[in-house]
Amino acid sequence: MSYLFDSGNWEWLWTGNNFKFLLEGFLVNLEIALIGIVISLIFGTLLALMRISKRRVISVPAGIWVDVWRNLPLILIILYLALAVPSSWRQAYADAIPGFFPEALQDELVLGALLGLVLYNSAVLCEIMRSGIQSLDRGQHEAAASLGLTYIQQMRFVILPQGLRRMVPATVSQLITLNKDTTLVSIIAIQEVIGRAGNITSASGFFGGVPAPVLQVYLVVGLLFVIVNLALSRLSRRLEIRERERTGTTIERVKGIEDQVAAETDVITSR
Amino acid sequence: MERKRWHLLALATVVLAALLFAACGDDDDEEPAADEPAVEVEQYPADTTPGKIQEAGEITIGVKYDVPPFGLNNPQTGEVEGFDVDLGNYIADRLGVDAEFREATSDNRIPLLVDGTIDLILSTMTITEERDLEIDFSEPYYVANGDVLVPGDSDIQALDDLNGKRVCTALGSTYADTIKKEAPDADLRLVDLYSECFDQVQTGSVDAVSTDNVILTGMVIQDDTLELLGLDYTTEPYGIGLPDGDTEMKGFVDEAVAEFISSGAWQETYDEWVGQHLSEEQQQGPPDVTLEEALKLFPLEK
Amino acid sequence: MSELWEVLTEHLPEFSSGLWVTVRLVAIAFVIAMVVGTLVAAMRIAPNRWLNRAGGIYVETFRNVPLLVLLIIAFSGFPRAGVSVSQWVAGMACLGLYTAAYIAEALRSGVFAVGKGQVEAALSLGLTYPRTMRRIILPQAFRTVIPALGSLIIAMIKNSAIVGGSLVALPDLLKKTREVQADTAQPDEVYFWGAVGFLLMTVTVTLVFRYLESRFSIRR
Repeated sequence: MSYLFDSGNWEWLWTGNNFKFLLEGFLVNLEIALIGIVISLIFGTLLALMRISKRRVISVPAGIWVDVWRNLPLILIILYLALAVPSSWRQAYADAIPGFFPEALQDELVLGALLGLVLYNSAVLCEIMRSGIQSLDRGQHEAAASLGLTYIQQMRFVILPQGLRRMVPATVSQLITLNKDTTLVSIIAIQEVIGRAGNITSASGFFGGVPAPVLQVYLVVGLLFVIVNLALSRLSRRLEIRERERTGTTIERVKGIEDQVAAETDVITSR
Repeated sequence: MERKRWHLLALATVVLAALLFAACGDDDDEEPAADEPAVEVEQYPADTTPGKIQEAGEITIGVKYDVPPFGLNNPQTGEVEGFDVDLGNYIADRLGVDAEFREATSDNRIPLLVDGTIDLILSTMTITEERDLEIDFSEPYYVANGDVLVPGDSDIQALDDLNGKRVCTALGSTYADTIKKEAPDADLRLVDLYSECFDQVQTGSVDAVSTDNVILTGMVIQDDTLELLGLDYTTEPYGIGLPDGDTEMKGFVDEAVAEFISSGAWQETYDEWVGQHLSEEQQQGPPDVTLEEALKLFPLEK
Repeated sequence: MSELWEVLTEHLPEFSSGLWVTVRLVAIAFVIAMVVGTLVAAMRIAPNRWLNRAGGIYVETFRNVPLLVLLIIAFSGFPRAGVSVSQWVAGMACLGLYTAAYIAEALRSGVFAVGKGQVEAALSLGLTYPRTMRRIILPQAFRTVIPALGSLIIAMIKNSAIVGGSLVALPDLLKKTREVQADTAQPDEVYFWGAVGFLLMTVTVTLVFRYLESRFSIRR
């Protein structure tokens, strides 16, 4: 126990460049997560629309696609893509990415990681969106139809906006999961917080100076995640409350459960 | 009412994102100019690889980020440092370009070279015939020997003792196969990074680590309760990884390596990174093995 | 095509041993998760403020920290503090404790779905709080929660791969897939079979739970 609290073991935190080094790495995780969720949202919505299409030619293959990616471990997908993405794509990515993006993201290996994150999360978000859209009362569809709106117009002006809005808390929740998942890219040698934490512990041993023990360093890493994710989940809760106030219907989601669970245990209560 | 809230949220997100990007966009410092005496730079024709690199103004080199004394990412400077890094900088100077380093683990270094992400591999890579099929090697720039690292209180003395014990080494290294031959009953634990092996022998998750003695020395420097057995049971000449069949590149790099050794830079770099940590008897000199001889040390199986 | 089958036939022992390790890891971690999760859920809904808080801290910590970080802390950090942790212990404990946080939340919401009214009624009939939980609330809560459990087990199967990919490196399906890949250098075929292995597990769980749902769950 004394090992845990011995101040000598925590000295690395305020000595030298260590904390800044760690923080820079953490920012990479956050950036990847942000970009990941945005792109995943776009594709997820597209997939959801395909899934609820009346034409089976569209909905069935989309369904298979989503079910496959949703059920695979993200780390398997990332490891595979790190090997399988052709270098021409990677070059294209490195060239296409604008200069104002942070340096870590300009690295071409990030493409494999982003691709994996998007493939997986778009499938997950698709299911969340789908349940959001389908949770809307039948009545909305009929009402919209009786107003003379075509299917597309119904979707665009009535169904989708409401469905998407309902899914905002769930999406923020998914962002939290995505945040955690970004640590997986450390396994394909992308310079983010876990790799940097390892550097700190190795360097302290080799170059001497203040010792940076593994336990303390990674506890700090964990803390960084808790802080950010906690803030995000508070945001999510606020959004849910706002939604409830506004529309009078609630999706009483089992709070914060990962991925698919959210879609399956939604309880809709109307007042 | 709701419109306003949505706009606020969107605005907040954009501002947050912008802040994040801005904060990191101008982060990295340029590599400080080396204060080495100006090296003669030979200009290469534009259609050769060295020529193209000169046009691009930088050469990308894959090094280890977690293996002192060859490549270690130093948090204090934010730069990777080590013997391989110094040699990489030397080669870049001779081409008149900047050196850009990235992490190359034992597992991904060859794929990274083959698909062009990096121009050279300087990653404690042993010359083997199998690897030679996919890439080319320079003349050896360092000769390490295989050794075994154990906790100070271990009763492992010789290679045979590894049988039945948990031994750690890296995925894709020559040791994965060598240990299977020398100690077939050893419980081999393969990891991505040597730093993990180091970690595991410290926490008692494995009983021994086996790899190049100089890498193990880096570990002993970090933790002096560990010790080397001093077995020297393999000879591991390191070579720089080059694109397959690229004769101009190989010509250039071989020249650079030869200069590195003959000009005394090798000795300087060695002393700084390795020599100062070793005793007199353990010191060694520049490689005395040629590429051809090195290839014979690790011939193709089957 | 023949290459695809060749990879499978030549490496079937590795794949299947990896699969088996994953199954064991998930099964044991699941038990841990259920036990701990139930406890934490009970703490969260107990009428005692300190228990609530403690349960809350547990849930917020384990839901917001990445599993990879937990694994490193357990496997690499603790032994240096004097607590010896083996590969299996690290893997099972981390996966189990991590999932327990989610199970606790699922149960808590399941309990709310059952309704406060039942708790009050039971208490007014003279049942003690623990007994109320054990006999009346929890059994119903469990049944509400069955579909969520199915998803959580699937999430566990996916998360177990992180254990194999991390420094804990249990020889599970993911680790074996990587080893076969290091051996054969045919990523498309090797990872295809690895994916098939995982899908086998997840599809089985989905089917099992669909059956269970149709038989046991409470429809609302």
